[in-house]
Parts: sequence; C-alpha cells; structure tokens
Amino acid sequence: MNEGNFLTNTLTDVALTRRSFLKWSAALGGTAALAGGLNFGLKTVEKAAAASIEDVKTVACYHNCGGRCVLGAVVKDGTVVRIVADPTEEKDPITNPRAIPCQRGRAQIRRVYAPDRLKYPMKRVGKRGEGKFERISWDEALDMIASELQRIKKQYGQESIFFMQGLGEMWTGPEGRSPITRLLRLFGGHVEFYNNYSFAAFQAAMPFITGGSRANCGNYVNDILNSKLVVLFGDNSCVTRAGGDNAGYYYVKAKEHGVKFIVIDPVYTDTAIATAADWVPINGGTDVALIAAMAYVMVKENLYDKEFMAKYAVGFDEDTLPEGAPANSSYMAYLMGTGYDKIPKTPEWAAPITGIPAERIVQLARQIATTKPCAMFQGWGIQRRAYGEQAVRAVPTLAAMTGNFGIKGGSPGLRPTIMPFKMGGFPLPKNPVTASIPLYLWTDYIFRGKEMTNGARDKIKGAEKLGANMKFMWNHAGNTVLNQHANINRTKKLLEDDTMLEMLVSYEVAMTPTAKFSDILLPATTGFEVESIITGEGHAEKGGRQFALFNHQVIEPMYESKNTLWVMEQLADRLGIGEEFRDGHMTRDDWMRDMIKVSQEAYPDFPSLEKFKEMGVYKITADKVMVAFAAFREDPVANPLETETGKIEVYSPGLVRFNEPDEIPAIPLYIPEWEGVNDPLRKTFPLQMSGYHAPQRSHSTFDNTDYLREALPQMFWINPLDAESRGIQNGDQVKVFNDRGATFVRAYVTNRVRPGAACLAQGAWYTPDQNGMDTNGSINMLTNEHPTPLAKGTTQHTTLVQVEKA
Amino acid sequence: MAKQLGFYVNLANCIGCKACEIACKDRKGLPAGVRWRRVYEYSGGEWIASGNQHVPSDVFSYYVSTACMHCEKPICVEVCPTSAIRKRDDGIVVLNSDNCIGCRYCSWACPYGAPQFNEEAGVMTKCDFCVELQERGEKPACVDACPMRALEYGDIEELKAKHGGLTAVAPMPDPSLTNPAIVYGPHKDVKSAHYRGGQLKNID
Amino acid sequence: MVTREWALLIFTILGQMASGALLTLMLIRAFAIRKTNVQQANRLTDGPLFIVVPIMALALLASLFHLGNLINITKAVPNLGTSWLSREVIVAVVFVVLAALYTFLQWRKLSTELIRATIGWIAALVGQFQTIAMIMVYMIRTQPAWNTFATPITFLVTSFLLGVLVVAAALVATRAIGDETQTDLLRSTLRGIAITSIALVGVEFVVLPIYVLYLSTQGASALQTMSSMFGTYTAVLVLRLLLVFVGGGVLGAYLYENAANGKERNLALLVYSAFILVLIAEAMGRFLFYATHYSIGL
Repeated sequence: MNEGNFLTNTLTDVALTRRSFLKWSAALGGTAALAGGLNFGLKTVEKAAAASIEDVKTVACYHNCGGRCVLGAVVKDGTVVRIVADPTEEKDPITNPRAIPCQRGRAQIRRVYAPDRLKYPMKRVGKRGEGKFERISWDEALDMIASELQRIKKQYGQESIFFMQGLGEMWTGPEGRSPITRLLRLFGGHVEFYNNYSFAAFQAAMPFITGGSRANCGNYVNDILNSKLVVLFGDNSCVTRAGGDNAGYYYVKAKEHGVKFIVIDPVYTDTAIATAADWVPINGGTDVALIAAMAYVMVKENLYDKEFMAKYAVGFDEDTLPEGAPANSSYMAYLMGTGYDKIPKTPEWAAPITGIPAERIVQLARQIATTKPCAMFQGWGIQRRAYGEQAVRAVPTLAAMTGNFGIKGGSPGLRPTIMPFKMGGFPLPKNPVTASIPLYLWTDYIFRGKEMTNGARDKIKGAEKLGANMKFMWNHAGNTVLNQHANINRTKKLLEDDTMLEMLVSYEVAMTPTAKFSDILLPATTGFEVESIITGEGHAEKGGRQFALFNHQVIEPMYESKNTLWVMEQLADRLGIGEEFRDGHMTRDDWMRDMIKVSQEAYPDFPSLEKFKEMGVYKITADKVMVAFAAFREDPVANPLETETGKIEVYSPGLVRFNEPDEIPAIPLYIPEWEGVNDPLRKTFPLQMSGYHAPQRSHSTFDNTDYLREALPQMFWINPLDAESRGIQNGDQVKVFNDRGATFVRAYVTNRVRPGAACLAQGAWYTPDQNGMDTNGSINMLTNEHPTPLAKGTTQHTTLVQVEKA
Repeated sequence: MAKQLGFYVNLANCIGCKACEIACKDRKGLPAGVRWRRVYEYSGGEWIASGNQHVPSDVFSYYVSTACMHCEKPICVEVCPTSAIRKRDDGIVVLNSDNCIGCRYCSWACPYGAPQFNEEAGVMTKCDFCVELQERGEKPACVDACPMRALEYGDIEELKAKHGGLTAVAPMPDPSLTNPAIVYGPHKDVKSAHYRGGQLKNID
Repeated sequence: MVTREWALLIFTILGQMASGALLTLMLIRAFAIRKTNVQQANRLTDGPLFIVVPIMALALLASLFHLGNLINITKAVPNLGTSWLSREVIVAVVFVVLAALYTFLQWRKLSTELIRATIGWIAALVGQFQTIAMIMVYMIRTQPAWNTFATPITFLVTSFLLGVLVVAAALVATRAIGDETQTDLLRSTLRGIAITSIALVGVEFVVLPIYVLYLSTQGASALQTMSSMFGTYTAVLVLRLLLVFVGGGVLGAYLYENAANGKERNLALLVYSAFILVLIAEAMGRFLFYATHYSIGL
C-alpha cells in the first residue's frame, strides 16, 4: 500500500471510535492497560476501582492559549488514563487560586492519542500540498535536511533560511523553539521575524503612547477587585485568558465582589455573560470613534481630569503640544472640530459609525467619567484590524482623561502586567544574520525577499535589505504557514510552486494543513512524551502570582516520534556542529540544571532539579498588588515614561516623523477601514466578519480533538435579522464567501452578535472539498493579507463577507 | 429523611466553557455522542429598530450545566424494565449497565437527557456522581474541573440552605415531575422555568 | 427515525393487531355458536386463528431489534413493581404462549370445548392487557405529547381496527366454498366487521381534532409536536387520514353494502384492499406518533 494513501485514509477517519482507539493502542502493546483504565462509562458503580492510590504526575498545558495551567496526568501501566486539575492546594481563592485547566487542558489525552498523529518521518512524493508522502527513516530524514540546508546555504546564502513562527508548544526549555534557534544560529544564522499575529499593532504603538513595547504593562489583574467599574474594549478574557487562575477568573471574581462591567464588543461575549455586564454592541473597527465621542462629551460636560492631562500628557490640548507641532494638531482640536478633519466628534457623529445611539454614548461617557476608580482593558482583537494601532492608543487616552492612570483600581487601558518567573532559558548564541522581517510579511519574503528593505513598505529591521528570497523554512509546531496566515488561497498558490520556497520542514504532532504542504515531516512528541520545563511567564495574566512547572514524561514516545532536543542534536552532528551545539551538555538534565540555576539564585528555596521533579510545580506570589505607572503618577519628572517625551503621548512626535499622517497620525484618529463599516464593498459583501479565539482550540491546536469538537462545534455567528433575510436557521449549513474564497460551516443564529456583524472562530483546519472550498469553517479562506500601516501586523479581523444557505 | 446528594450550579459564574463536560468525558472515558454532562445555552430577546440603527431589546443569554439530577422521584428508576437503574441511600441514581437491555426507555422518560445510550455497547450509561471519587473524599470530576468554581455538590438541603432555593430555571422542565436534586445560583438574566421567550441554542 | 424506532413501530402495530384479532375471533366464535353450533363456529374460525401467533411472534421478533443489548436480556430482572415496560414484556410473552396453547388445543381439538374456550378467552383478555400495557408505556408524565387521552384511544382503535380487518381478510382467505351455512355466517360476520370498521374510523376522526386542540393548550414540547405534525409531517398526516378514510370508511361502507349479496371474489378483494390500506394508514399513524414526540425539558 502506498504510504501516502495510507495517510490520507487515516486522515479521513476523523472520528475516533473506541475501536480505532484500541487498535493503535494494541499496536503499542497497551491494550490491557487501556481497557483497564478507561471504563467508557460502562462500569457499574459498585465495581469501579475505588480507593486505588493513583500515580499523578504534573504535566503542562503548553500551548499558546493565553493561559497557563497545571495538569496532573493519571498514569496507569504506561498509559495516561485521565487528567486531573492542578493537584496543589487552594489556600485562598483570591491570593492563591489553583491553576485549574480549562476544557482544552481536560481534553489533552484526546490530542495525544488522536488517530491522526504523525507516526514516522515522511517525505513528500506528489506535488506540494497534494498530501502524498512516503515513509522514510529518521536517518534518511535527517540526512536530507542536513544536505538541503547545506545546499541552500551555498546556493542562495544564509538569508534564504527562515525559522517560521510556530506556537503549538511554548516550553521555556529544553524543548520548544530554542534548540532549533541554537542549531540554526550555529549553522550560520537564519532570518528572524519580529512581532507576531497576536499583538503586532499593540507592540508597535506602545512606544508612542505609554512607552516600552510590552503589551502587558497595566496593573496586576487582581487589582480589579479594587475597581468600581471595569470597561472592556473587545476583551473576552474569560475565553482568551481561560483557566482557573487567569484574567477571566479574576473578572468573574470582581463581579462577585460587586464590580460593574461594561463590555464594548460586537458580540455579547461569554465574558459579558459571566460578568453580568452592560453590553454596548459596537460596529467592528469603530472603537476609536466611540472613544472620541465619549471624550467629546467629557470635554463638553467638563467631566475629564484636566489637571492630570495638563501634567502627565502630551498633546491632549493645544497647550501641551510639543514644540514644533502645528496649531490645531492636538487631540482636543480633533475632538472639537478645529483640527484634523474639522468635524466635531459629537455623539451624533459617532452614532452612525459605531452603531451606538448618541444618547447611549452620552450616558456611557458620563458613567465612565464619574465612576472611580475605573479599569479599562483592551483585548487584542481590536488591534488585529486595518488600523489597529489607533485603537491601541485610544484606550489609554481615555484611561488618562478619566484619571485612572497609575492608581489602585484603575488601569492604563492596556493589558495587565504579568509577573515574571525568573528561569534560565536554553542558551542561544548571537544570530550571525541580523535581518528580521515583520512576521505578517513572511509570504512576501518567499517571492520578493530580495526587494524587501527597511523602508515604509516592508520595515525590515536589523538590515537595510534582505539578501535572498526564502528558500528553506523550518516550521516547528506551527500551523501558521497554511492555516493561520490570511488568505489561504494566496498562500496555497505560493507554496504550490516549489521552485520558490524549495524546502519546508515541519516538526509536528498531527497532519495539519501546514504539515500537508511540507516537504519533510518529522513526527513530534507531545508534552506527555518528553521532560521539559515551562513557566507561566510571558503569557498568563495571573496577577501577582507565577509558577514554574516540571513537565514529566508520562508515556513512551508514540510511534517513531522524537523530541526536539534529540532531533537537533542529531542534525547538529550531521552539520558538523555537534560539539558546539551540546557545549558540554550530555543529558537533558544538564540543560535543565543550567536553566534552574537562575531560579535558585532568584528564589532561595527553589529546589534542586531532582526535588523540582518531585514537587512538579513551584509557585510564587507577590506580596502586594502592582499598580502600573504609580511612580510616574507620583512624580512624572523623576519617573518619566519610556516614551520620547517621558509623558503619555496623546500626540506623538515620533509618529509624525513617519511622515504618513493619513495612516500613521500623531493622535489616535478614527480612520475608516477598508472593508470596514462604511466601505461601499458592503453592497456586495454586507457582513463585517471578525475572527475570535475559539474556546475549543488554542489557535489551530486541538482542532483534531474529538471531545472539543463535540462540545464546542465550529459555528458562524449571525444575527437573526441577517439570518432570516437569507433563510438561515440556527444549525443550518451555510456558505460564507467573498472574492478571496469560501468556507462551509454551520450557522449559529444569535442575538449575541449585532446585525451586520458576524463571527467565525479562527483556527479551524483548512479542509478543502474537490473545488478547493473549505468545509471546516476555516476563516483564512476569507481574510486579507493587507498589513497594518505601522506594525505591518495582521488585519485578519477586518473582513467583509456574504453568507448563504448551503 | 434520607440524605440526598445533589449539585449546585451557579449560573451567574458560568462562562459556557464546557470544562465540566470534557472533564466528565475524560474521567469516564466516554465515547463520541455520550455526554453525561452537557452545557446548554439559553438565549432570548430581540433587536429592534431605533432610528437608523438596530438596538438590542432584552437580549440575554446564560448557560446551564446539566448532568443527572439524581432526582428524589427518578422516573428512570420507575420505568426501567430490568431494574438496572436504582437509587442509593445517599440519593445517587446509579445505572448498572450489566443489567441493561438497551431499550432506552429511561432516556425517553428522563426530562434532563441524563441517561445516554452507548451505541457500541448497546446499553445506557449515565452520570454516577463520580461515586468512586466521593468515596475517597474527592470531588466529582465536573465539580473539580470548573475553572470558575461555579459547581458544587453535597447534601441538597445543605446546598439549598447555603445558596437559596432556586430549583427551576428555563429551559429546565417543571421540577415537580421528578424532584431533581439541584439548586441554581441565579444569573442576572435568569428566567423562570415557565418562561417561553427564549431558545435553547445548542445544535446537538 | 432510526432502526430502533422502526422496530418499535412494527412491534406495537403487530402486537396490537394480534390482540385485536384474537378478541375479534373469540367474539365471532361466540356469535357463530349462538347462531349455529360449535362445529360451524370451528369451521369458520379455526383457519383464521392460525394468524394470531405468527403475527405476535413477528411482533416480538421486531421488538428485539429495538434493544441495544441482547446478551443482557438474560440478566433482565423484570421491574414489574413500577415499570409498565416490564409488564408489557411479560404480558406479551404470556399472551403469545396462551394464544399458541389455545391455537394448538383448538387445532387438535384436545381437552374439552369449555376448557379450550376458557383458555381462548383468557388469552384474549391477556391480549387486551397487553394493549393496556403498551398504552401505559407511553403515558409517562415527562412526555406531554404522549401522556394524553389520545394515546389509549388511538392504540385501542388501532388494535380493533387492524384486528377486525386482519380477521376479515383471514376469514375470506380460508372461507369454505360451497357451504351455505358458512357463507351466511361469513357474510353476516363481514357486515359486523364493516360496521365496526366504520365506527372506529369515525372515532379516529373525532379524536384527532380534540387531541390537536388539547396540545395547543399545553407547554412548549407539546407545541413542538404540533408544529412538527403540521410542518415537517403534514404530508404523512394527510395521506394517513386519507388511507384510513378510504380503507376503513369508504371500503367499509362498500363492504357493508355488498356483504349480503355481493360476489365472493369481489368481497375478498374489497376486504384485502381495506386491510392493506388500513395497515399502511395505521403504520403511518404510529410513525407520526414516534416522529412528532418531543420530550419535556432537554
């Protein structure tokens, strides 16, 4: 039997029946154990094995979900039979809650034991993307990769090698991306990328509003228990920061404590439901207009904090404009109609843009201005849009105007600070290649890399230009290449020509759409199959708490899967850099001992590696709630912000220097979006569709997990008014399309999305039918690769579509 | 009166994440289609014209996590032809699949969809309140799984004393049919069991 | 409707037909004995009697297809105390055993006429109890679409309607040719069957609107039943009513008109057509019964 066909057959067998489940386990010699461990709900209570002391080992939920939780794996005869929640004790629900995993963590077993796991190394035999592969040995695979790396380096130069973003696993080390980075750098380097799909516009705009580049720099999230009012702009933390001790949990706790919530979102989110929020349904991409109108009301009704703005902000009004700024270029001038477009930003102006009645805007402005302290948060969704940078700067402006900046219970209108856990990483040498591309432009690097420069169009960093087009791509635990980047049909076409990108290597656990477009497939271990360390740092908004987790290897590697460290060591040997790569580290423990040295220095009671393995999880708690920018508030001269002016830059001189005032303005401007609320294209494609983070997946991770698919099916959200006129009923199969592509998915007809708006969760795996139309609700069939002006970041939430009954 | 174990479901804090459902399936290794705990979404209201815009009018939504109610008058026990389902002294309604002939009559009778048919084995299965965990002092899987701590369990009278007496909400049936061992924490938009203005949004 | 509901449909329809048929036959015998004698009655009904057990056996066989697990059936300890389903199973088995015993004794003319008749009547009564058990299985408080007066009435009507018509068909099929006494008995029996059939169809047409009216006053799940009956399944409902009207009503009236002096061959055709049409109509009715039910709650 042709291996390619075998694989395709396996792929079509999506449903994991008990039979197939047992089939592979039999192949692994684990049938007895499995049958004994999983009772499939058939055991009578009387016969259930009670009181057996279970072997529970900590394992990580190690994806890019926005949380970070602690799992316990119950191991029986070499098989993980179930997951239990964070086995540590909950001493206090506020100061020390358990990191209880969400639905995804609970389904981890079904991901590890999924029937479409990659079982052995394979090489492509058909056309790229056709899905035909041939089984090869690890030796063959590694030899091929090594020789291709050498050939491409020689033929096209070091700058033709790219290490693609991929966040299917986010280990601190020694697993994950770092060993690959280390290898490629020792090999002569690779082109880097900067920013990401999550918060590119956020990072880019930060230096020009409150300084720095961290998206998470607000008060600790548990500080909202001190707020009176919380205003969420496109923030659905109960879903995007899920789990039992992350932001969403604290939102719900704050609500329990009587804190009022306002949710400004086209969608009545799960967060809105669980925080008993007042919902302000807004048209997508118009938050900046709403903020301008509220600011107008606050100014007109004298409700804003004049002293604060005069002392701490630049360019809010004409008096605080920096030197050299033209007259009437302040935010105030913009609001009052004497500035930029000479239109007063009245509630009546904003009403048709935002879809919010003028009187509601007035009421909202009064409530926000007069309820103190008020914490404002922005989700990252509002900045993954055509002019995302404007929204990023508008929310902190409102937070400043209302005087909530730098105070307990307030917030700077950004995201809460994540307390770091001090842990060493996998050591990385300097990259000999200095060039770095904005991530969202990686497809351009394939066909016009040599033309890309540090100019306004491409914003290459670290070099004036790229020396080559991309010829070799290492894709590690990533499904961005085909699935998560905008406009799948475009990417597909680019990749199908294998004279452009010549070699795509994927290290992956399952046959993802990206894996299907790879040239060499390496079967990866999951977290259950390898020892590694992870900290919550960099991800989970847990207030003043953090942990380091030892991830135990709880099962033998499935099939022929191998861990990253092993793969890189083997590859390093083949490239003649084995010794440099190892640098004296002969075992995995050697690397981990080095990593935890940093923790042992930072936390006197941090244990030895052996003890850490035994403990599984080490938690730290801050002694007080951190209030962001408190020192600045106390003394702005002694403690200036990291902005150019040291103050809150409502007007940013740095942005002026980009000299693109229409798309990169100095003040947070409402710029009507292409494919936005007032685009004439809505005559053809009337619905403003945005993606959202599905509770059933972490981006595209878990899309092959049966339990999650069953509990949380992929759905297209549409308002009953829009559905009725199209004859669509709840649960109907519909076709969503625009001139970039089409996808089939079931409709969720709900009042929870405003008329004219629609939603489709990002991350569903592209599953084409014979005509190339997706059948799985994969949103990037429809999205646009056009980047944001400043960050060159993603705009995937700005998409117009039409829908019809399929 | 005999002790009666039951669930407390705090509708106010439920984010509809289904962690309880998945934890249950994971704990019991349930196959596709067998869902001892399910989370229902109940929504209603409408969008009305206001000037050139549409505005929401009484739009509401909340989730109801539901498993076996371990009813005081369990109709499944009544109707089962083979006595495969019985009520224990602690109130837990258990099903012995070994005695089940798979007639699925209990699933017709149960107004909560608690008994679930296992196609492959041809027998009914249902929530057993994780009695094996309770026996060693642990929480049922669903209760321990809730990231929002919206689920509790215990003696139903104690739960009612602690959380109030809300035992029926839309879209749940009239509790007088079977006396379910349940108490709800009210969501701000919770509707009474007699309310007819909303819809169950789950598609399967 | 999945296979398992089809099994139930066949089980209830055939089971009710069998019990209706046995009762009909016992009544016809009583009538024939009064009019003539035991021997004539035997000649008239001994042939048709053989249909009861196979129909019931078929019903029981079908019921097995409804079960998910036949291995466990051996472990089944009947819950006679509270479960009507349990009672239904027991009663169905007792019925088929008694009916078989009666058929066998009657065939071989074993024992005395009195004892045979007693066993026959007991079997017929158990058959009626089986119909009651079937009714009670569906009269559950959590199923508002089923838990109404309409369930007992329609089940009983189905039982009698199919019972009399299947007996009529059997009588015609096994009729003694050229025996005047038998022909007279047959003709008057068919007249009686025709009247019964018309009356039962009348009941069906009275019950339906009252049932619908009743449903409209009940809760959400009853309304769902209605909307499904008059939405998805309107065509089935209309066709079912049409068939039963033509089969049991029009053909019944025609049979009544012609039973006394019509040609035997035409009468036979008439009886077969009526039975087939009504069987289809009642099966469709039972299909609607299952397909349009909605549980209260979830």
